Amino acid sequence: MSPQSIIAVSNLTKFYGDFKALDSVSFGVKKGWVYGYLGPNGAGKTTTIRTMLGLLRPDQGEVQIDDVNPTRDPVHALQKVGYAPELPTLQTFFSGEQLMDFTGKMFGLDKLTRKEKINQLIDLVGLKEWGNKKIGKYSKGMVQRLSVALALINDPLVLIMDEPTIGMDPEATAHFRNLFTNLSKQGKTVFISSHLLDEVQRICTHVGMINKGKMVFDGPITQVLEAFTRKWVVEAELEEVTKSMISGLEKLDYVEDVEVEGNKLRIGLKEKKDLRGEISSEIFKRKGVLLSLNLQKITLEDAYLRALRGGERK
Amino acid sequence: MSFVRRVAVILGYEWRRALAKKWVLALIVLAIVFQTLILVALAQFIGTVLEVEFDTIWVIGVLQGQGLFVPLIAIIIAGGSMSEEYERGTADILLSKPITKVEYITGKFLGGFSVLCLVEGITTATGVVLSLGLFGPQSELQVAPVLFLAIAYSSLVFFSLSFMFSEVFRRGTLAMFTAFGIFIASSVVSGILSMLYVLTGEQLYEYISKGLPTWSTTNFAQFVVSQLIGTLQSPLQPISSGDFQLAAAIIAVYAGASIVIALVRLVKSDVSKKAD
Repeated sequence: MSPQSIIAVSNLTKFYGDFKALDSVSFGVKKGWVYGYLGPNGAGKTTTIRTMLGLLRPDQGEVQIDDVNPTRDPVHALQKVGYAPELPTLQTFFSGEQLMDFTGKMFGLDKLTRKEKINQLIDLVGLKEWGNKKIGKYSKGMVQRLSVALALINDPLVLIMDEPTIGMDPEATAHFRNLFTNLSKQGKTVFISSHLLDEVQRICTHVGMINKGKMVFDGPITQVLEAFTRKWVVEAELEEVTKSMISGLEKLDYVEDVEVEGNKLRIGLKEKKDLRGEISSEIFKRKGVLLSLNLQKITLEDAYLRALRGGERK
Repeated sequence: MSFVRRVAVILGYEWRRALAKKWVLALIVLAIVFQTLILVALAQFIGTVLEVEFDTIWVIGVLQGQGLFVPLIAIIIAGGSMSEEYERGTADILLSKPITKVEYITGKFLGGFSVLCLVEGITTATGVVLSLGLFGPQSELQVAPVLFLAIAYSSLVFFSLSFMFSEVFRRGTLAMFTAFGIFIASSVVSGILSMLYVLTGEQLYEYISKGLPTWSTTNFAQFVVSQLIGTLQSPLQPISSGDFQLAAAIIAVYAGASIVIALVRLVKSDVSKKAD
């Protein structure tokens, strides 16, 4: 029996004046998933998240967090949610520990639990030395780390994060990726809105893509790669690229298109086959000097760009 | 967690937020200094050019001290209460927690108003203590707590108006300027209407004047005191009697209407994003 969606978004529509920011957006996120929510700037990602948290009132449709509507009953719905906004502005008159303590109070945690949680989480996000310092003195990356710690203080069932690793150094980014993966292994549901496709590909089990307020894909990450990656690409680096070589490659039955960038060729194949042997023979036949030849792996970026361009699925 | 506990958490937050502002603290100090100066000036001139009752001069000291600074502090504390959370983007953080909008706005209002009451308590106590020091033993001191409560109640008008503008405009400076503009305009118009009433004897001018927000704000406390200890002669402001029930009702109407408008605005609209 498949588990019930812990985040259920159905037919969500939101207008800002005449502008339709969300157009019948629907998706479901089940327990233990790490769900990547992708889309270009202005696509509607943050609007979706803010509606999920009850901060925006939908014009149509609804959101359910563990079967509770956050707009109608924020006390019960949000008790189970941890939220880390994109580049948050935190209350600078608090120290990190004071803000965590205040946030713990908002979730109704008792004093002892708050103290334990603060010690545990401040260490987890690498702010032990900074916990008692005013937030006004924190760097962007430190504020982002604290924001993740704040989102975890209530031991949430659902973790919603808007660009969680933005502003973090590479070491911290890797640390937090592991953290999110471990949280999902503990049965928590992680919802991440991100521009970082590499990050999403590494840690997410499922992906939702939104463009101009409409969902263009919702499913497992393996499915998105299959659905939107039409072709494989061979990348060839040559000593010199000639016109005859390009036109010769373009005439081959299995080549769909050829893109030129300096002395590099990106040869799009019609089929998902490793045709490097055939390509190199063609290049040698035309007296080309090959410096390198690689079969490009399928990336989420390819799939994402294709999905946003409205490309047909395979 | 109960409604009361969630409101109390926001109330405590509001205390920290208001008192973290250096300029709010500076205004509180200024209010105390202003009150001290008034009483010191009274002590200098009293008995020479001015004739007042020494044993109840603490009432005048306390009321004079409230004059300008308390409405100003009320407007500043309330004007930033809701709006700053939108301007800084912290409203998102607070309202994405398990709390209803009604609990949030109740905590905010009570938090800000209790800070204002603390300021009023300090200035009232300062007025009493300085009067004792400068003018010797004072009588009718049992009225001091009632006077404090009357001052706190009368400050509800401009506190609530500024709080409402803070939520409606969601811009702190605009809210404060609008509330302060109403305070100034109401004072000026009230003065003109009173003059017209004296000149023409037309009752309508008096009715309109009483309906303005400054009439109840500036008169309620002295009406209450005069009910308890009678009228007083003051070189700066006579403590006169008047319809304290009407003043109380007008304060309640202004405060009630402002709170309802702010609540409807918060509940019925989206939580706006941080201002760019």
